[in-house]
Formats: sequence, structure tokens, C-alpha cells
Amino acid sequence: MCPVCHGLEHDEAELSGRGRVYSYAVLHHPRSSKFTYPLVVALIDLDEGVRIMSNLVGIGPADVQIGMQVHVRFEPTDGEMAVPVFAPDGSDQ
Amino acid sequence: MIRGLQSAAAIVGIGQTEFSKDAGRSETRLASEAILAALTDAGLGTDAVDGLVSYTIDPVEETELVRSLGIPEVRWSSRLPYGGGGSQGVLLHAAAAVASGAAEVVVAYRALRARSGARFGAAAGRVAATSAHSGTTAMQWAYPYGALTPASWMSLNATRYMHVFGVTSEDFGRAVVQLRDYAATNPNAHFFGKPIVLADHQASRWIAEPCIRLFDCCQETDGSVAIVITSAERATDSRNPIVIETAAGAALFEQEVASDHYRPDLSVMDGTVALAKQLFDATGISRADIDLAMIYDAFSPILLMQLEALGFCGLGEAKDFIAEGNLGPKGALPCNTNGGLIGEGYIHGMNLTLEAVRQLRGDAANQLNDPQVALVSASRTGTILRRP
Repeated sequence: MCPVCHGLEHDEAELSGRGRVYSYAVLHHPRSSKFTYPLVVALIDLDEGVRIMSNLVGIGPADVQIGMQVHVRFEPTDGEMAVPVFAPDGSDQ
Repeated sequence: MIRGLQSAAAIVGIGQTEFSKDAGRSETRLASEAILAALTDAGLGTDAVDGLVSYTIDPVEETELVRSLGIPEVRWSSRLPYGGGGSQGVLLHAAAAVASGAAEVVVAYRALRARSGARFGAAAGRVAATSAHSGTTAMQWAYPYGALTPASWMSLNATRYMHVFGVTSEDFGRAVVQLRDYAATNPNAHFFGKPIVLADHQASRWIAEPCIRLFDCCQETDGSVAIVITSAERATDSRNPIVIETAAGAALFEQEVASDHYRPDLSVMDGTVALAKQLFDATGISRADIDLAMIYDAFSPILLMQLEALGFCGLGEAKDFIAEGNLGPKGALPCNTNGGLIGEGYIHGMNLTLEAVRQLRGDAANQLNDPQVALVSASRTGTILRRP
């Protein structure tokens, strides 16, 4: 249910995939076999106003800055779904 | 202030098991032992108990506890959400029960084997799903990115806090050094006899960079604590009552356990700001009246953030407040005098309440000079206790 209007209808909206790093952390421990460490987890404030949690890729952990502009990429998982991750604007790959 | 609750109830007994890394017995047995100890402290038998309260992520079944202890009739029971954030809400529920007459003697308890059993901080096996009543529904959006543990969730808030207010790992370290100082002289503490200096903290390995090092984390602990609550009127017959001056809870939209990631401003614990309004503004109790604070320190950053949200210092000023020595025994606000969850152990926050009671009774390991009023904050729920 929508907490604002209590509507029950859902819709899909295409987003720009662009946003800024609101916060982050470089995770070192404990380690799960499913991830590569150090692992950068971040909260991204998308340009459309939605905040999501994701990983930062294409950047060294020491170079991450709050406020930096990032854009989405999709990476495969060990299941069928791809997940959105984010890379800094201007990074290659 | 909730009508009719102020000073209406009292803590008349506290009890605990030993705190360890491997209790070697079930949570139900640990809870039973702690409750028996608390009832003995209160001078009451199990037949006097007619209320039970705990909070989520406690594996003890109320029905098993009743059977284990031989409680003849339970008239009132409840269990709060928010995990350890609910650890002081047990006093709100218990006080409301005894003030209304719904129950006469309520036992609040928490038992866990957080080290030898299911470790809160473990990463393995958590990716699949969240569990009911865990208060971590939004974690399904965190697990796919490797944010698997409370430290990883809280680190996102803590990094933002550091960024906004210019707080450093050394600032967290100064708080930890104080906690370890208290723990070093508390025989019940995991870190008894093991004080550290700031360089030790800075040399401890990163858990989540740039905010949480190993020494910033609480101790996964096995054990149980229990508290016996009755009406203030009935407590006058008790040997050593401590008055529940007030107790309150506040949980805001989009708050979960250790994961407020969708609140607008993560540099301020605004749920704790709301809690402080209930504890202070609604009661007329002044922050200056607080002689001792026990503050939920699952990780050191939330100790600083709660000090600010509770209003003991301005936003971003906890680092200076701590550097001035104010959390120490001679400071303006002695804090977590048992060593806290970081130094003593992590009985999911309720061992902080026991320390507040011991300080007000005058029999704490690190006894302060005649404290009269203590605050206990678990960020979402809190209480103010007073010597009668």
C-alpha cells in the first residue's frame, strides 16, 4: 500500500540511472564467499529523489567520496537476476 | 507524558547469569536462572509473577518460560519490536501494566547465546531472506549488495555522520577508551583488566571503513538478565526499590532495526530526538537532573549520535564533549559505567538497565558518588530511573 495515498495500484517508471553517493562504507569483515572484498556498499540518492542501497564499482575504495556523481550498471548475480550497481561518472568499462 | 505513569512503578529486583562466550545451556534455562535471581533479589517467589515482557529476536518462548519457572497464572504479557532498540521499552510496558492494574508483578527479561548460538555479526546464511519479527524487512534490499550485518548497516549512517560533522575514527576511539576504562575495573565485564589507549583502538582492524573498527563493536555474548517491576505503592515494602520516573518509546516512519537508511537525514538519530521529547519535554524532567547515562552502544558511533539526539550536547558536538572527559566518573555525564555493551557485553541492551539500578542502589563495580537519577537510552525506547 502506498503510505501517502493508500493506493494499491503499482506502476513502473524508467529512471535516469543517475544519482549521487549519499553515504558509503568499505566492508572488510566478516566475509561472505559470495562477495569480493573490500566491498563498497553505498546509499545512492537518485536524481528522481529515491534512495537505494547498492555497490560502487569501477573505483578504488580509497577514492570514494560522499556527493560524487554516479550512474547505474547492471551486473549478473548467481541467480537469474541482474542487480543495479553504480560507477562514478567518467570511469571506464 | 503518558497519563498516570510517572513514578507509578518501581524496579524491585534485578538478576543475571554470568556473561560468557559459551553458556553451554539453552536460552530458556538462562532466562529462568536470571529471573529466579531477580525474584530472589526482590524477595518474591515465582507465584507472585503475573506479567512477562521481552522484545523481539529473543528465542525464549513465553509458554516454555512459564513451564520452566512454575508460574501459576500470567495475566499480562508483551513483546516489543525493534530488537535491542526495544530493550528499555520493557519498562514502559511493565510500568503501564502495574500502573493500570493489568498485572501486579511483571518480569522483564532477555536471554541470548549471541556468541555460541546464532551470532548477530555473522555473514554466512543471511543472504536468503529476512525472518518474521526481526524488524529488518528492508534488509532484503541490503543483502544482495553484501550488507549482511548490523555493523554494515549502521556504518552507512555513521559515515554520513562523520561527513556532516567532521567526526573521525579517533573521536569514536576516545569514547571506546573510556568504555574500556570502566570495563577494566568491572569484574563482570568481558574486558575486565584490559584497558586500552587510543593507539590500540586505531590499530584494531577495520570492520567497515571509515567508521567501525573491531574495537568499536559490542561483544557478542551469552547470558541473560531480568528485572522485576511492581507498582510504586507495593514497592514501598521492598528492600531496595528504584522508581521508574518515566519510560517511553518512539519509532518513526521508515525506521527499522539498525537500518534507518531511508530517513531523510542519517547524520541525526531523529528517532532518538523524538524519544528525548517523551522523556524530557513531556515530563518536565531536566537533562541537568541526569547524574548517569546508560546509552545503547552496539557500535561506538551511535553512542555519540545518541548523546546529541538526547540533547546532552549539540549536533556534531559529542566528539568535543567526550574529548573533555565528560563520560568519565568525574565528568558532566558519567556514561556506561559498566563498560557498556562494548566493554561489559551485549545482553541486547538490557544489561545497561541493570547497571543503572546498581548505580542508584550504590553497589556498582564502578560506583559513582551518590547518583540520584539515571537515564537509559536504547535509541527507540528509554527510561529515567530515580532513587526514592
